[in-house]
Amino acid sequence: MTTSASGAQGHRGIAVALAILGWAAKFIAVVLVIATFAFVLVKAAPGDPAQVMAGQTGAADERMLAQIRQEYGLDKPVIVQLGTHLKRVLTLDLGFSYRQRQPVSTLILERLPATLLLTGTAFLLALFSGILLGTLAGLRAGKWSDTLLTVISLILYAMPVFWLGLMMVLLFSVQLGWLPAFGYQTIGVTMGPFARMLDVASHLVLPAVSLAAIYLAIYTRLMRASVIEVAHQDFIKTARAKGLTQSRIITGHILRNAILPVVTIAGMQASALVGGAVVVETVFAWPGLGRLTYEAVMQRDYPVLLGIFLVMSVLVIVLNLVTDAIYRLIDPRVTTRATN
Amino acid sequence: MAEATLLSVENLSIALPRGADRAHAVEEVSLTVGANEIVCLVGESGSGKSMTAHAILRLLPERVSIASGAVHFKGRDIAAFDEAAMRDLRGGEISMIFQEPMSALNPLARIGDQIAEAIVTHAKPAPARETVDARVIELVTAVGLPEPATIVRSFPFQLSGGQRQRVMIAMAMANNPALLLADEPTTALDVTTQKQILGLIRDLQRERGMGVLLITHDFGVVADMADRVVVMRNGQVVEQGTAEAVLRSPQHDYTRALIAAVPGARPVGARSRDIHDAPILVAENLEKTFVTRQGFFRPPRRVPAVRQVALSLNARETVAVVGESGSGKSTLGRMIMRLIEPDGGVVDFNGTDLLALRGEPLRQTRRRLQIVFQDPYAALDPRQKVGDAIARGPMAYGTSRQEAMAEAKRLLARVGLKDNAADRYPHEFSGGQRQRICIARALALKPQVLVADEAVSALDVSVQATILELLAELREEMNLAMLFITHDLRVAAEIADRIVVMRRGEIVEQGATAEVFANPAHAYTRELLDAVPGRRLFAGPGSLLQATA
Repeated sequence: MTTSASGAQGHRGIAVALAILGWAAKFIAVVLVIATFAFVLVKAAPGDPAQVMAGQTGAADERMLAQIRQEYGLDKPVIVQLGTHLKRVLTLDLGFSYRQRQPVSTLILERLPATLLLTGTAFLLALFSGILLGTLAGLRAGKWSDTLLTVISLILYAMPVFWLGLMMVLLFSVQLGWLPAFGYQTIGVTMGPFARMLDVASHLVLPAVSLAAIYLAIYTRLMRASVIEVAHQDFIKTARAKGLTQSRIITGHILRNAILPVVTIAGMQASALVGGAVVVETVFAWPGLGRLTYEAVMQRDYPVLLGIFLVMSVLVIVLNLVTDAIYRLIDPRVTTRATN
Repeated sequence: MAEATLLSVENLSIALPRGADRAHAVEEVSLTVGANEIVCLVGESGSGKSMTAHAILRLLPERVSIASGAVHFKGRDIAAFDEAAMRDLRGGEISMIFQEPMSALNPLARIGDQIAEAIVTHAKPAPARETVDARVIELVTAVGLPEPATIVRSFPFQLSGGQRQRVMIAMAMANNPALLLADEPTTALDVTTQKQILGLIRDLQRERGMGVLLITHDFGVVADMADRVVVMRNGQVVEQGTAEAVLRSPQHDYTRALIAAVPGARPVGARSRDIHDAPILVAENLEKTFVTRQGFFRPPRRVPAVRQVALSLNARETVAVVGESGSGKSTLGRMIMRLIEPDGGVVDFNGTDLLALRGEPLRQTRRRLQIVFQDPYAALDPRQKVGDAIARGPMAYGTSRQEAMAEAKRLLARVGLKDNAADRYPHEFSGGQRQRICIARALALKPQVLVADEAVSALDVSVQATILELLAELREEMNLAMLFITHDLRVAAEIADRIVVMRRGEIVEQGATAEVFANPAHAYTRELLDAVPGRRLFAGPGSLLQATA
């Protein structure tokens, strides 16, 4: 018995190692495809990138152009350029922004934490409140509290993000003065680490809520529908016939089953959230990747755009993996069906 | 049977919400169940039998409630119990099992945990983990599940339907109930599994001296199980008495009709049909192995579904393919229609090689082979009007819309539906009516071969009988050859000229219907015959009613 069990464990270990290896291979392949795609996009854009860069530096003479071409390898055949580009991507070298006079990776790393903080907070806020409100509405389907929640979520859903953001600034910052209107932290003040944290948190509230609103509405509606559906399934009747209390039926049987579609959708939207941050970061002057993207587009800063493109793609892939893992954790049918 | 009365339902009426098709689901129903007694509550769908059982534990759907009457359990009026007292009763002294083993278990929780939950809920103070685990293993063993230690760690989707129903029973037995309510516990199972589950219920009942209220629509089951019988129709009790009395000399017409509807109660071979030895479809060496990929580096899993099967079907002939779930009978039916591509073999249809056809010739041939599926609820597009569902087929082959609709209406009338049926949606029809629609849809294309894949298995026996009758008429009118796939030998006996018995992807026996029933050659065929419910009453398919006792 013990030997067979440990044997099975060994097999399992190998299987997990192989699965990770397979995933890593897929990951690299996808990154390379995306990098190629991004490269082709930039190549297909009208105009000579060398001239754009030269124009940005303000010195557009022939010698400068030739120098830029040589430095970027723009004088070589396209296929060689692609090879160089992919090699750089694999060595995590994202190039240099002439406009900002900094390496692209430095620029991105500077902005990434702010974006992750904002989108992460917004996402978790939307997910948890959505699940909570959706469950409440679903369990009270047809009653007034359900109708109220449905109406609120519809309003949130219909409201443009920038408008909601501006209105909240008007109310909470301008009228009431409770929360700061923009920025990441109070500038020019020295604070202890705890005070600093509180300061950032107070700056975070308005942008996070604005960004979360629409997703909160989606998850509420989704969870409501899912709870109603699950509550009518046969195994809920089985649970009642066992003599379980209503609260035990909800926590033990309804919630876990009802949450599955929400996890699926949330996993897909987690990546869209990063893109959605552009508007919010602009409205609230939040120094994140979204704003960096906006600036890079306005300034035609191609190396930065390419870098952001790549980092976002990697983020999306990682998020997908996390979603998969969570899904497997909740639903035994996913993993076991494959290993059975 | 003069044991103490355990449960007595007195003048129970159950009110339906306003706007339902009638005011009461159940009216003035009275029945009793004694300790150590099996009472069968019999009726068709919609008779209120299930509602009555649910009302006992107050597990009624929302907005449906007990309007009047009393439910006495061990002398106490439990209809007046509050919710907390009711919870103590549920899964404690009164347990319930349901019809659909596939959906009655939480798909995300381990079997062991679900059984343990039933124990822990009723044990005060909470017992030690080891005690609970040991009790779970004991219960799982008691209901005859293999490898209890593995089963408790499994998830529901890893178990077969029969195994899941055993789990449900283990759960129901967790607190040694005095009364078991079993709501059609075997209707969704095939006959061999049904026999095992019914046997298990009977054994447990005897061992523990339980009272059992068994709900069924099948008088075959009644004959095997019941001490007493209560017959319900349209929410009212029409007859009750001891099993012997009700089965041997039913008083009410409705009871007589239900008993007569049990397939196999009629003699086999009474009909002699005019069939020439002219094969319309010949299949040889059919093979199918299902391969499931299991991710990157693991070898794919192979399940051989059909192995080297040969089958021939004469014009106008009806061949029944009989076997348990997993025997490959449905795969065979679908390969013959090329709904599943065989891995190997030949199918000769009217002299052409069906498997070699591609494109337009294949499409032209397809209309000659039509199918009726098992689940009439899933087989019709809920957003398509019935008339369209039938007319779309011929229209796809170039018939004008008007002509096709006229034909659809004619067919609907032929299968016994009103002429306004064409403009209605599937959800407005009952299961039996939907199956009639499915038959009309298949016949609209004027097929030569009709495959009926468990076409009556999801229906009540009484409805089953009328559908079988309809099919028997239609095959004469339209000169149909039929491949009738079923798990139920009684049904096969009703309609088939020839029987093919399949097991694990292979044909183990075939022959003329009367021959197979009279002299089953293979042990497995005998096993299937044995599993037919109601042999106490009817000596099995093919023999006359032994109504002499």
